[in-house]
Amino acid sequence: MIKIVDLHKKFGDLHVLKGINLNVNKGEVMVILGPSGSGKSTLLRSINLLEVPTSGHIYFDDVDITAKKIDRNRVRQRVGMVFQAFNLFPHMTVLGNVTLALLKVLKMKKDEAVKIGTDLLIRVGLRDKINSYPNQLSGGQKQRVAIARALAMNPEVMLFDEVTSALDPELVKEVLDVMKDLAKSGMTMLVVTHEMGFAKEVGSHVIFMDEGLIVEEGLAADIFENPRHPRTKVFLDAVLH
Amino acid sequence: MEGIQNLLEKYFSVGIIWEILPYLLKGALFTIIFSVSSEIIGIIIGLVTSMIRTSKIKVLNQLAMIYVDLFRGTPLLMQIIFVYYALPYLGINLPAPIAGIVALSVNSGAYVTEIFRAGIDSIDKGQIEASRSLGMSYIKTMRYIIIPQTFKRVLPPLTNEFVALIKDSSLLSVIAISELLRTAREMMTWKLNPSSLTAAAILYLLITLPLTRLVSHMENKLKKSDAH
Repeated sequence: MIKIVDLHKKFGDLHVLKGINLNVNKGEVMVILGPSGSGKSTLLRSINLLEVPTSGHIYFDDVDITAKKIDRNRVRQRVGMVFQAFNLFPHMTVLGNVTLALLKVLKMKKDEAVKIGTDLLIRVGLRDKINSYPNQLSGGQKQRVAIARALAMNPEVMLFDEVTSALDPELVKEVLDVMKDLAKSGMTMLVVTHEMGFAKEVGSHVIFMDEGLIVEEGLAADIFENPRHPRTKVFLDAVLH
Repeated sequence: MEGIQNLLEKYFSVGIIWEILPYLLKGALFTIIFSVSSEIIGIIIGLVTSMIRTSKIKVLNQLAMIYVDLFRGTPLLMQIIFVYYALPYLGINLPAPIAGIVALSVNSGAYVTEIFRAGIDSIDKGQIEASRSLGMSYIKTMRYIIIPQTFKRVLPPLTNEFVALIKDSSLLSVIAISELLRTAREMMTWKLNPSSLTAAAILYLLITLPLTRLVSHMENKLKKSDAH
């Protein structure tokens, strides 16, 4: 479904991605591990073109989305993204956040958008917060709204960029639970996370990145039980113990 | 004592002020009309230019910067004179009131551009990313996400700019527009008594004071709403 070929990204002199090759199949939950600065977020952000690759190609259903003439807004409609810092729109209600793109991008009728938005908010357990504003919510609730907002566009892939890193420990579970349900429903997901429990339980594939390269890749079970690359071992030892 | 007596007669003659007040009020009305219309056009200019300034289109960005530098860096008086007296040589003949509004709006637009640009820059970049990641275009992101949040923050500096514009509109007297200050000076020559200037000053205060009070009020509210 997503095929990444020799992807490079430079920020000035900083070479962040140094030739990434990756295949993601439909329905897979790809967990991206690695120390900070290894290029995990940049890789994720390249997939919805928030970062424009310096060279290389990303194919989405065999269409090269890094091609010049591609409509980036159309690509982004098919790829949902959830951020570490929530990035909810503070001047809109929870429902307003979720329905905005339905109304303004898909030009959906108001009652139709409200129906979809409400259903999604019920799905993430926030029925009673529909008319609240983001600053009235806890971090966990905010992140669930952000997930609902991304789901509203009915994306084919969901990107999660360290979505629980900014949360108080007791609020992490409610967000991970929503993500687990999503994975069960068959959503294709790419997840940058430090939640090893989640990675083990939900991840179907794991890649381990270091210094802009994928140093190890495989089935989640294999990598956790039997990491081959020394840097993967060191990293897993550090985070699991 | 005699000095004070003279001062009161010359600058605070209630009788004269009462007599010329209708003229001054008319002048004040002109001042308000010119300031309000120029501010509205200035805001539209500033809004568009600030979006160009924060976009990544290099050529337009440079042009916008030149515009801002040019009109903030030269005296408004000169700009008014150029629009009214120099443009006719290029075949652009504007009647004085229109020339006045053009000069004031374009000048105000330069200041408003920088006010909006600072406001847009102060919005967290994550807001733009979240919006773009939903498939919203740059224009839609500006319209529905950035500008609404910016407005709240720029209202105080925008109001300050408006107060400055109201006072600056007195420069329109140079192209024979009978706004408040010019009217007051005409009255001074007519009555051979500068009390009209005092009255005009009070009228300026009556126009600007509510606005400056409003700014403090807004700043306090903003502090509170940013606190949580």
